[in-house]
Amino acid sequence: MRRRRGAGFTLVLPFAVLLVLTVLVPVLYTVYLSLFTDRLSGLGFDGPRQVFVGMGNYLSVLVDRAFGQSVLTVALYALVQVPVMLVLALVLALLLDSAVVRLRQVWTLALFLPYAVPVVIGGLIWAYLYSPGVGPLASLLGFDPLSGRGILPAVVNIATWQWVGYNVVIFYTALRAVPKEILEAARADGAGPVRTALTIKVPLVRPTAFVALVFTVIGSLQLFTEPLVLRSFTGAVTSTWTPSLYVYESAFITNDYGRAAAASVLLAVVSAVLSALVMRLSTRRYR
Amino acid sequence: MDPTMGEKTVLSRRTALRAGAALAAGALLADGLLGGCATSAAADGRTVVRIWSWLTGMDSYIAAFNAAQRHVHVELSVISSGLKGGYAQEVNAIKAHNAPDIMHVEYQALPQLLLSGGFREITADLADLGPGYTPAAWRAVRPDGRTWAVPMDVAPMVFYYRKDLFDAHGIPVPVTWQDFRAAAEAVRAADPTARITTFPLNDGSFFAGMCWQAGDPWWRIDHDAWAVDISGPGTVRTAEQWQRFIADDLVATDPTGDQGWIASIHNGRLWGLLGASWNVGTFAKSVPNDTGRWAVATMPTWDGRPANGMQGGSAFAISKQSRVAEAALTFLRWLSTDPAVVRVGSAFTAPFPAFDASRAVARDVYASKFFLGPPVYQVLDEAARRVPDWTWGPTALGSFSVVADTFSDVRSGHTTMPDAVRAVQARAVADMRGRGLSVVEGGAR
Repeated sequence: MRRRRGAGFTLVLPFAVLLVLTVLVPVLYTVYLSLFTDRLSGLGFDGPRQVFVGMGNYLSVLVDRAFGQSVLTVALYALVQVPVMLVLALVLALLLDSAVVRLRQVWTLALFLPYAVPVVIGGLIWAYLYSPGVGPLASLLGFDPLSGRGILPAVVNIATWQWVGYNVVIFYTALRAVPKEILEAARADGAGPVRTALTIKVPLVRPTAFVALVFTVIGSLQLFTEPLVLRSFTGAVTSTWTPSLYVYESAFITNDYGRAAAASVLLAVVSAVLSALVMRLSTRRYR
Repeated sequence: MDPTMGEKTVLSRRTALRAGAALAAGALLADGLLGGCATSAAADGRTVVRIWSWLTGMDSYIAAFNAAQRHVHVELSVISSGLKGGYAQEVNAIKAHNAPDIMHVEYQALPQLLLSGGFREITADLADLGPGYTPAAWRAVRPDGRTWAVPMDVAPMVFYYRKDLFDAHGIPVPVTWQDFRAAAEAVRAADPTARITTFPLNDGSFFAGMCWQAGDPWWRIDHDAWAVDISGPGTVRTAEQWQRFIADDLVATDPTGDQGWIASIHNGRLWGLLGASWNVGTFAKSVPNDTGRWAVATMPTWDGRPANGMQGGSAFAISKQSRVAEAALTFLRWLSTDPAVVRVGSAFTAPFPAFDASRAVARDVYASKFFLGPPVYQVLDEAARRVPDWTWGPTALGSFSVVADTFSDVRSGHTTMPDAVRAVQARAVADMRGRGLSVVEGGAR
């Protein structure tokens, strides 16, 4: 009994050590940082004094209009991107799963390929395609994707291109796991391929869809790399366009680490609450 | 479905989110591990000096220095340029008490980085060199009368223009901003798809450089307080003028220096550039086929009073934590003033040193035939001598972001540039007060 417990402990140790060092310690340090601020005096050239401000940083983030604006931006972004991408991924997965598609593996690979392109590279390629005068898209679309109005669809498009294949693979895997007997029964009852897809397959992969939804929503909240890349191409992406950019700007441009830490903690809490909510919803519905 | 696959989605997003932080932290970690056991002495008894810099050609300068003497050995770590992560890395290192001996810092960033308390005061060490520097550079490293960094170069702003096209259409080179407007109209009349220049709305440091010449510095030190005057008369006048130029569609507003800009220069859609001395190198590199088309003139002025701002310009500060400050200073004095540096540098760039004697050498060795008209170095030299007083403030870098953010609504008409600079002023004052600094609003009395 004792030896078994020892073995379990040994097996868990590498994971536990990594978890503590790379996740728990940084998280705790962030929380600690968020309670302090660097207070200066006079001209400030004598260097800062770290003072405890309690919830002060959180309050100043919450009343900062730029932060509210950034939350609105990602909310709007998620509202458009999440349904567009998930529906597209589901439709593509159903097509792959249906009997009509030939060269299934080639299609899967082609859809998945953008996921293998590093986000920064993908962002740069799209930025060049969008740039009026360099890429063709501005004149083809009839509007400037890098203008204030075009920028949100432009980012949605990049993210969808990048992530749709990944979600197709997830859905496709789930569809493959749908029991053959049910499908055969449906066919025997006279259901065509569309009917089967809508009333048999889709309800059966609903749990998968919810999980994909959670991850996509969290990913949307953390939207960072695409807008950061686009920033050097257009002023339409402001320095605090998304909450993650807000954190980046606070920490690394204005050197206000307390505010940056507070904003990251708020972001993490919102992500956690949202995913808990969605998970809860999905299990209840499924039962 | 396999939950670990979903996990990866989140992780890779998070990884991206933390990319900036991780870069800085990674460098810190490596540095801490190496620095922990180093004894600041190389095997052959030389004193080792560590420097972080993103200056083009720094490796060549250091190689020349290390070969030229036997006492000091300089080790270079190339870091990202300041606003692309370099300053974050430096400030983090100072916080973590493992900063290198020498850190690269632009004039515009010096007061903000001084807030970290990580730089060594070198007033006495550098006093003898003071008179040798162009005043604009010397003032820039002495915001409060104490010397905090060693000047490297100066970056006065000038007007680059397509002399061939200006001549062909009989457009005179603008001397005042009134002339500039006439020239802008003439350019558009000559070619409806062409503009005289672009005014990059996403570049706060460019706008600051343009305001500089109007004679109302954004910051001043008034006894023991910062006087903040970002919406002073000179800045508002500058903002109003460019608001009109943009509203009248006389200038483009796209970024400078990127692929789109190069394409516009290449296709003759931009006939000019309001830029700094370092753009000499940009032209030679980006549009080599344009040799014999461009010329340089001093910046158009308000009312004919000669003045122009600067955009950028580098200096080097010594860490307060450095145990080899003496050796670091030896290297920096050489780097900043020795004519050998210019000779090395002119092989791959067009150096424009802050030290007057070195600049004379740079002028003599400059051999490019790219530009027409008066000798480039003569124009730049004149520009370097007519830079008015200016002090960068402790929130300069953040203010550049705020400028770019508020200007992003100018094109669509949601805001105007004069309104935007008033917003920037309010933000800067609030930020500075919030951090505990003494602030006086408006110009210094």
